[in-house]
Parts: sequence; structure tokens; C-alpha cells
Amino acid sequence: MLTPQELKTLQKTALQVRKNVLREIKAGKMGHIGGALSIVDIVTALYFKIMNIDPKKPLMRDRDRFVLSAGHKCLALYAVLAERGFFDHSVLDTYGSLGSKLPGHPDMHKLPGVESNTGALGHGLSIAGGMAMGLKMDGLGSKVYVIMGDGELAEGSNWEAAAASSHHKLDNMLVFVDRNSLQISGRTVEVMSYEPLEERWRSFGWGTRIINGHDIETIVKAAEEFPFEKGKPSVVIADTVKSKGISFAEDRVDFHYWKAKEEEILQAEQEFAAIDRRLEE
Amino acid sequence: MSESKDPRKTFGEALVEVGEKYGTVIAISADSSGGSGMTPFKEKFPDRHLEFGIMEQGVIGFASGLATTGKIPFVVAIAPFVTARPFEMFRNDLGYMRQNVKVVGRCAGISYSDLGPTHQSLDDVALIRTIPGVTVLNPADPVEIKKVVHAAADITGPCYIKIGKEKMPVLFEENYPFELGKGYLVRDGKDVTLIGTGTVFANAHAAAEALKKEGVDVRLIDIHTLKPFDSGIVLKAAKETGTIVTVEEHYLAGGLGSIVCETLAREGVCTKVKMIGIDDQFASNGPYDDLLGLYGLLPDQIKETVKGFL
Ligand SMILES: Cc1ncc(C[n+]2csc(CCOP(=O)(O)OP(=O)(O)O)c2C)c(N)n1
Ligand SMILES: [Mg+2]
Repeated sequence: MLTPQELKTLQKTALQVRKNVLREIKAGKMGHIGGALSIVDIVTALYFKIMNIDPKKPLMRDRDRFVLSAGHKCLALYAVLAERGFFDHSVLDTYGSLGSKLPGHPDMHKLPGVESNTGALGHGLSIAGGMAMGLKMDGLGSKVYVIMGDGELAEGSNWEAAAASSHHKLDNMLVFVDRNSLQISGRTVEVMSYEPLEERWRSFGWGTRIINGHDIETIVKAAEEFPFEKGKPSVVIADTVKSKGISFAEDRVDFHYWKAKEEEILQAEQEFAAIDRRLEE
Repeated sequence: MSESKDPRKTFGEALVEVGEKYGTVIAISADSSGGSGMTPFKEKFPDRHLEFGIMEQGVIGFASGLATTGKIPFVVAIAPFVTARPFEMFRNDLGYMRQNVKVVGRCAGISYSDLGPTHQSLDDVALIRTIPGVTVLNPADPVEIKKVVHAAADITGPCYIKIGKEKMPVLFEENYPFELGKGYLVRDGKDVTLIGTGTVFANAHAAAEALKKEGVDVRLIDIHTLKPFDSGIVLKAAKETGTIVTVEEHYLAGGLGSIVCETLAREGVCTKVKMIGIDDQFASNGPYDDLLGLYGLLPDQIKETVKGFL
């Protein structure tokens, strides 16, 4: 449970993470904005409230792990890692430059805090499952957190991993499906329907919960309460808004990948500043 | 004829040995454990044997994740199903992530001769050697199978080990000079160099013996490590013997023959090379030796090819 003060602080941090995302876009002039902004509240809750991590010891043996299966959302990962102190904020300004430590999809060998090289959709859940298994074998209480896209769920390899994770009773694993209901070509249920989504996961042997993926209190509660069912891996279906926080981009398919105009960035900055003022009240 | 051994059984023994040596070695099965010789490992280390069922893409990712926690997973299954099928997982989750996972493709080449092209693997070396940082191993006899399994376990990083199905004659002594990344000069010679790898090395070996009896002084090289490749031994052979013949149970495209030609071309060395293997076609089906015969891979055929090439 969060005190009102804690909640406020996390909300402010989430805004700061959104600002970091915008800072990266400003540096690179383009990037996967929509899917990054839809997961900001989730990664903020994980990195600032839930996960056992130490930015000074990014490879600490008993740390919790985070796998961004939908690697294209990495602007949010970089943004939260910087905010949590894994590296200096100035690194965010290198996004888009030659050999930057912040590639368009994350590389664990370039940046502390990154746990896996994702980007090709449909890999992360298996990798996370292996981590969860290894941590259990070592008798560590560490948890593994995963974020997947809703469009990503069309990849068959995910369902191999979903089956294996329940078969092997990986109840130290919590997956967030970022149900922003959009993918590149349109509405996810129209491009390739995943419905009935919750029943699919349940039938694969997972404990499930549906939440508002922008409500930090609910995100924290879910993360504190998992496993939702004893001996089962858990999945949170998080209803979110693509590009959350930038009004002109919210819930719009054409902001999957943003080639940002200067005036658009300016407007986004002003909108974030307005949120800032509201939070200060 | 020397003693012959089942490569999968030999692999299974080697896996138990490395399992004893490293408590972190894990055996991963995709409904493929028994057929891969892993039953003794499973019996000896039941907690370190993980069954996943038929999900060859999934197991590569799980192996990668396990490796991030310090385990040394051995993923073993029918060769095409751990190479061509999950190629992107191999490339990204093991190669790009540089994870310490050992993938073993068994019943490789055309050794599933009767089962046809779906189960044959004539492209595994071509595919996997494009992945930066992956060590590609193809042992030539049972002694060498053990050597490469130990070598793979000893080094940190992704490896692909290719083994066949048919019994393999024991060619090498227990203490022969095996060095990862180096070709093995089995016998010296000055007329022509025969370079073989893996399952059909024994046939190249037999051809070399026969040629010697007929007065051809053959240099014979075993390449157990296809990557990183020992270019030195090939360049030396080109210089000293002039003519090279390669022998492999693989497509000519992308395998040993290709690697040898790439090596010579990169160094600007002009040498006659003959590649024996399977050319651009899906292989046929039938008894193993008949199939080898179809592609010129039997000892007599290799011998005749060499003679005709001189
Ligand atoms: C295997 C694979 N195929 C295609 C892509 C290209 N791609 C990048 S993001 C994306 C859409 C993903 O949709 P979703 O999972 O809903 O994530 P969101 O866009 O909502 O963040 C696609 C198709 C990819 N990265 N990987
Ligand atoms: Mg989506």
C-alpha cells in the first residue's frame, strides 16, 4: 500500500520519466513514442517501488530482473534507468547518434540495468522464464518482471513460453501485457484478435488480473500481491493509452513511431509542464 | 576395422562428465532427451534435467535466461530443429546476448537418411557460423566428441556442436593433440591435401589410406572447429601441396568447402579446390550409405575424386 505522499512522489517520478522519454526523442528526432509512453507508469512503479535492485550494483546476484519483451518500448526503459541512477541523464541526449549506448532496441552489453537484448517480438517471455527458473534453482527469492505488447501476443513463441512457465510453476514471474489496443497497422483486435485475452492466459495456467495501467496505486498493489494464484505465473492485463501524456498523440496509430517536428516537441513539453503544475498543487 | 561407437551414447557420457565437473551444467530437452543420449545425465542429475516438450524456439530463450543466472545449459535435439527452426532465437538470445549456452544438433547431416529433408540438416553450419561469437564444432570420431563437449563446457560463450547418428569408428588416441580452434594434422603429405570434418571425416581418412597405398602422398586434416577457423593450416597446405579436396556432410554452400575457399580468396591464394558434399538440392531418402554414395561421400568415391583431380 502507498501513502498519499508516496503516491504523489511516484506520480511525479512518472512525469519525470515521460520528460526523459521526450528528451531522447528530442535528441534522436524520432522514435517509438507511443508504446514507450503507455508503459511509463508501470516501469516507474516497478523501478521505484517494487523491484529489489541497486543501480550501484547492476549485476547483484539476487536482484529482481526486468525483461522488456516489447523491446521497441525501450525509450521508457532508458528513461526510467536514468531516473533511477543507473547512468547519467546526459546519456539520454545520445539517443540516435552513432554507436549510442541507447540503440533503437536495448542491448544489455551497452547499458547497465538492461537485462536482455529484445526487439524481435516474441523472445522476452522465454528468456524471462529461463531467468525465473534459474533464480528458483538457486533458491533465490528474486522475481522476474516482464512487459509485453498486446500486438506482440500474436507471436506463437509467446505461447510456448506461456505453457512452459506454468508447467514449471514459475510463480516468481509477473508479466504485464500493455493493452494499449494499438499496434502498427491499427487496432490490435482488428489486426489479429487476441480475445478472449484473459481466458487465454487462464487456460495456459496463469493467474490473471485486469487493471488500469496508468493507476500507479493499482499497479503497485498487483505487483505486491502476486502470485495471484499459488504455484502459477501471473499476468496483469494493463489497460493503457498509447502515447499517454501527449494529448495530440494519445491513442493514435500514427504515433507508433514519431518523426517529431520541433513545434510538436514544444507542445509536448508544455503539456508535461502543465501536468507538473497540477501535481504541485 | 577399429571399434565403432554410437555418437549419441558417447555424447551422453561426455555430458555426464561435464555435469560432474560443473554443477551448473543443465540438460534441456525438447521431447528429445532419450534420443539425444541424455538419459544417463537425467538419472544422475534429475534436478538438472529440464523437460520442455516440443518447443524448440522456446527452449533457446529459456536456455538464454538460465544462462544469465550462471547455468551452463546444453540444449540437445535433432539438428534442424535447434538450428533452422529457432534461428532467430539462436542469433539474438544466444549470439547477440552472448550467453553461455551449448546447442547440440544430433542426427545431423543426412544421417536421418530415411526420414527425408525435414529431418536432415545440411545447412546448420552455414546458418550458425554467420552468428558473431558462436563457436561451431563438428567432431570426427567418438574420442573427438568427448573432446569438443569438454572444450565447449570449458569456454564461456555460445557453441554449436554437430553430431551424427550412425556409429563412428574410433580414429584417434585418447591423448591426441586436440586444440579448440585448430585443425588437426592427422598425417602429413605433399601431393594433395584432404580436409574433412565431422561424420564423413572417417571416409576421408579411409580414402587417404587407400591413396597412400596407391602411391599418392596425401596430407590429411581434420577440422573439428569450423569457427573460429584455423586458416593457418589451410594456407600452409595450399602452399605446400597445391591442391585441396574438402569432404563434408553438408551443403557445398556455406560449409567447410566454402570456408576453405573464403580463406584462400581472402588471402589472395590461388589454389585448386574440389568440394565434396551435397550441392544445391534437397537430399534424397534411403539407407545412409546409399545416400552417401549418391553424393560421392564413400571412401572409394572420395579416393577416385582425388585421383581425378590431381
Ligand atoms: C518479430 C517482429 N516482427 C515485427 C516487428 C516490428 N514491430 C515493432 S513494434 C510492432 C508493433 C507492436 O505492437 P504492440 O505489441 O501492441 O506494441 P505497441 O506498438 O503497442 O507498443 C511491430 C510489428 C518486430 N519488432 N519484431
Ligand atoms: Mg499495443
